[in-house]
Amino acid sequence: MEERIVKFIAALRSAGVRISLAESTDAFQAVDILGIKDKDLFRLSLLTTLVKDAEEIPTFEELFPIFFSTGEAPNMLNPSEDLSPEEAQMIAQALRELNDQLRKLLEKLLNGEMLSQEELNRLAKMVGLSQTDNLRYREWMVQRMKRALHFKEVQEALKQLANTLAQLGMDKERADQLVQLMQANQQALEDQMRQYAGQRIAENMSERQREDSMDSLLNRPFTTLSDRDMERLRKEVQRLAAAMRTRIALRQKHAKTGQLDAKATIRANLKHGNVPIEIKHRERTLKPKLVVICDVSNSMRACSELMLSLLYHLQDQISKTHAFAFIDHLEFITPDFTGKQANEAVAQVLERMPAGYYNTDLGNSLAGFQKDYLGTIDGRTIFIVVGDGRNNFNNPRMDIFNQITRRSRRTIWLNPEASALWGSGDSDMLKYAVNCDVILQANTLAQLISAVDKLLLA
Amino acid sequence: MNNTRRFDSPRELKTALGECQYIASDEIATIMYLSQELGKPLLTEGPAGVGKTELAKSIANATGRELIRLQCYEGLDETKALYEWEYAKQLLYTQLLRDKLQETLSGADSLAAAADRLANEEDVFFSMRFLLQRPLLKAILSEQPTVLLIDEIDRADAEFEAFLLEVLSDFQVSVPELGTLAAVHRPLVVLTSNNTRELSEALKRRCLYLFIDYPSIEQEMAVVRLKVPDLSPKLARQAVELVHSLRSMDLRKSPSISETLDWAKALVTLNARNLDLPTMETTLSILLKHETDLRRARLWLQHPSSGGHQENDDPYRSPRRRN
Repeated sequence: MEERIVKFIAALRSAGVRISLAESTDAFQAVDILGIKDKDLFRLSLLTTLVKDAEEIPTFEELFPIFFSTGEAPNMLNPSEDLSPEEAQMIAQALRELNDQLRKLLEKLLNGEMLSQEELNRLAKMVGLSQTDNLRYREWMVQRMKRALHFKEVQEALKQLANTLAQLGMDKERADQLVQLMQANQQALEDQMRQYAGQRIAENMSERQREDSMDSLLNRPFTTLSDRDMERLRKEVQRLAAAMRTRIALRQKHAKTGQLDAKATIRANLKHGNVPIEIKHRERTLKPKLVVICDVSNSMRACSELMLSLLYHLQDQISKTHAFAFIDHLEFITPDFTGKQANEAVAQVLERMPAGYYNTDLGNSLAGFQKDYLGTIDGRTIFIVVGDGRNNFNNPRMDIFNQITRRSRRTIWLNPEASALWGSGDSDMLKYAVNCDVILQANTLAQLISAVDKLLLA
Repeated sequence: MNNTRRFDSPRELKTALGECQYIASDEIATIMYLSQELGKPLLTEGPAGVGKTELAKSIANATGRELIRLQCYEGLDETKALYEWEYAKQLLYTQLLRDKLQETLSGADSLAAAADRLANEEDVFFSMRFLLQRPLLKAILSEQPTVLLIDEIDRADAEFEAFLLEVLSDFQVSVPELGTLAAVHRPLVVLTSNNTRELSEALKRRCLYLFIDYPSIEQEMAVVRLKVPDLSPKLARQAVELVHSLRSMDLRKSPSISETLDWAKALVTLNARNLDLPTMETTLSILLKHETDLRRARLWLQHPSSGGHQENDDPYRSPRRRN
């Protein structure tokens, strides 16, 4: 049992639940106290010690039955037992009309035989189950296994079988009943495969090697990230943002102007008979206002998404953020972020931008910004552009860019490209660079984080 | 344990909570029991008003322990949570004891000797007498076992959370002038959070986790029947069902259990016989606290079929985050 629990924890980890060693020890202690007899108590003791985030509960609920279900195979009925000899004869005759493969399967259904372990393994190899380590693909694997077993054809054959049997002189009701039983058996087979697929995937999950360490992932360029890596980075961003928030909050706490706040000092020291024991200083609100314009075209998407999600995790350190996304025109996306994770929000924004062939056009987007949102920029605002400055030879609209940079406190450009590449091909980066206060290269998450850190220092 | 109660099984704990007018699900009772057995703090999360704070109160009641509550807010620091020297009292004492001090110092022939003598008396001024105990220290020093409720931890700053780690893992506090003060009895600790921000991994790791969601119709019925016994069963059911359909709407603030109870009490006070449209219209503001929500709910009450009703199949609807 212990081994099973360890495997379960490994699978949870690979599904993205963060479980520390201390927590797994807690789980074992809890199981010691409540025992494993009562399955509900057992489930609760694991749940409360391992899962510390409401959003991870569904993952737990999905994996738990796979690891700790009693392992009972779904029930198969055996309609062939109570067949009279004549009926058996008739069925054999009806089956003879089908091809070999179908006949074998139908006979299996008729006799209520489960798939043997060997057959299951063969099926698994056929559909590539051994390479699957994500429960998301479970249903898909089941579908493929069903196709490999010609389930569709079997279904049709079953329908015909009833007719054929009736033609052969079997009682209509009896024939229907038989076919229904066989259909139920087919369903049971499907359940068996689903169970098997779940178990195999879960086992793969718990055996999967530790992936690249987070450090190397942090320093990998955005363009080489796979979907999986992105998913891990999304989680990591949350953690890094929390660390950053603490740092920024401390910095703001320390950053006082040093000016004595006479009123507050008198008020605080009333209790000491106005002997100034506690000195109060005036605080300056350092929280910046941000306007962020993000390129969400394919090449820039990962960078923009992580940037936005960082900013939205840091909301309490920023007095106001206006976020915009563009490909060929500008969209105001702040409302999309209320109550959502950044990746969902970005996905939602992309859905709204009509599909089709796109030309990245910052010039046009800036024009849109000038028309509708110029009011969001004032002397306290930091204007941030996340993009590669590749404009597809469209008009860069330097006039508008200059106007915006003049109005804002600072202009910061985050560009994933190295400075050597600026100005090559369709890049207008050199033109824009003149008006930026700071240009930071953000090609990896580590760079992005240090960039955001610097930006909030300002 | 002297006169406080310890439970031997989740079932026993559940009954005891029931006697204190708290209807606990099996999940709550089991996890609470584990928290008692493992001696670990319990972190409860969930939407506002599902009875997280009430759970702590009831467990205090059921175990016969004293409840010590620490309400968190932005800017809460150690002096408000742990301890503070009472300067004013110290000043007052030095003033009043001036004669005595002079007497003590009178025999000294040099300044150094006088300072030494004064230093000998220092302990008088840095003793427990002048230590203002805040909730955390109180829970640690209490002679009787206690229940420590740290309410709405997500409102406190991240630094405070880090500071709390030390207290929660060792249950001891060091006061430089007095040395380390260790807990006499390990308090039962309950933390609550409304999930307005992500708590740190380190804190979560030290706690058991309990997610309390809105109750099912049956559970909520039981709560209403228990707390507002005067309401007729039929009316109670209607009311609870209405609240449930309000919760499935996409409102800015869904009505909580406490609001259901307030509403039930209002219905009793108003002597309502049944839940007709005029009664609902006039009392709806007890359930909903946003103008837009009210308007939407009224619209829906008049035309129950017209939209605004979203089915939500996911039982673990993630609590909405304020971003």
